[in-house]
Amino acid sequence: MFTTRFLMACAAIGAATGVLLIPANFAAFSISATVPLAYAPMVGLWLIGPVVALAVLRRPGSAVLTMFVAGVISTPTPAGPSAIVTCLMVGVAMELGFLVTRYRIWRPWLFQLTAIAFTVLYALSAYAAFNISAMSLFAQGIFFALMVASQMVFTGLGLVVARRLAATGVARGIAPTRRVGVGPVPRRPEADAEGRVG
Amino acid sequence: MTARVPHRSVGLGTEPDLDGSVLDLRTYNPLVKVLGPIAAMVVAITSRDLLTPALFAAFALALLLGGGRLAARTLGGVLLGVTILVALMAVSFGMWTDPSQVDHTHALLRLGPLTFWSGALETGLATGLRVAAVVLLALLSGLTTHGADLVRSMIAQLRVPYRIGYAGLAALRFVPRFAQELDTIRSAHRVRGLSGGRGPVSVVRRHTGYAIPLLAGGIRHADRVSLSMESRGFGAYPSRTERRHLPFRLRDWALLASLLAGAPLVPLLAHHLTGGTP
Repeated sequence: MFTTRFLMACAAIGAATGVLLIPANFAAFSISATVPLAYAPMVGLWLIGPVVALAVLRRPGSAVLTMFVAGVISTPTPAGPSAIVTCLMVGVAMELGFLVTRYRIWRPWLFQLTAIAFTVLYALSAYAAFNISAMSLFAQGIFFALMVASQMVFTGLGLVVARRLAATGVARGIAPTRRVGVGPVPRRPEADAEGRVG
Repeated sequence: MTARVPHRSVGLGTEPDLDGSVLDLRTYNPLVKVLGPIAAMVVAITSRDLLTPALFAAFALALLLGGGRLAARTLGGVLLGVTILVALMAVSFGMWTDPSQVDHTHALLRLGPLTFWSGALETGLATGLRVAAVVLLALLSGLTTHGADLVRSMIAQLRVPYRIGYAGLAALRFVPRFAQELDTIRSAHRVRGLSGGRGPVSVVRRHTGYAIPLLAGGIRHADRVSLSMESRGFGAYPSRTERRHLPFRLRDWALLASLLAGAPLVPLLAHHLTGGTP
């Protein structure tokens, strides 16, 4: 089902995401301890990895695999190996929007829509952990607005990175079709022969 | 040009010896240490009193002190970090607490129009303790487990397909390569004069400039790795033998059972200790 090349590409993107998430984990813990509202703009960082993976590789499972790897890499943080659980949840959440559309739509709006749906789910869990319902209604509103804004900005950033990455041609043969902006690329024969191994 | 060797600030540098004493937390199966505390984390997060998260934090700390075999520096960092975390969160989350919910308690501090109520401090302290409990429970595995061992036990016990698990193991090897390649890209940019000036905006732009070649190089390297793996027959068979075995022994079952059974008992204990009044 997954070619080794696809798995290793996920590992590469996931390793980069994990390296990014290690300082992010430390920063998130110290920031959420001092200024809870400043934590909200950070949550989007967790979305860059799955967004880049999905937008570049365009295959089912790329977000989940990438975030699994990112979780393994970001083990030495305050979150510990439970970072794997967190990362897998983000990966699965980002995958859902594309699963529902049967991996046929790769437009930016679907990325943004999935990110917003994830934010709502995430905000609910943050309500319990940080006891946000004890805050004033104004602070709650700002917290949620900052979270959504951060998810949208970082999803956009991920899409920019993905577009420039796709332009380098590294995903040729992994992604089933290429985006319009880069121009049509003839499918290489080995890309069609799926499951070279396994 | 020097290749930077990444050092781990937290966690184990190398895989631990699994044949040690029962009192050594490092010899336990990683899955138990990762999945076992989750029940306790859920109970701790959903609690609203002070004592329940404090008890969870104390239990986790006791386990770490007793079985973690931590270096003195790590231990000091954990103790200091957790204390600062709780103190900071008590004040900062206290400040964000809605005053109308706590203004029946007595005022601790008045700063102009702002009043810091004791009820707010209590809410903040409870939040701090909850987060501290979760962090300490996560550190049970974080400080005593190597990432590669966790992947190996996921393959062995959770039946994760080994090809997926090996993506995780390969990624652990990619990280030092990334550090090396980042140095190369930096030097290449500097040699071509792509400094982009000073200030926070150009710093962000410079780092996004590193990201694309770094990721592209990483994926190209991944391509070569996958070719060499396949040429050695990786994935040809449904299962594969491992050089390092992670057993699931009696001690693992015992720890898992006590972690799972302990989680619902702690709130009862807290209730009992306070005599029914929160």
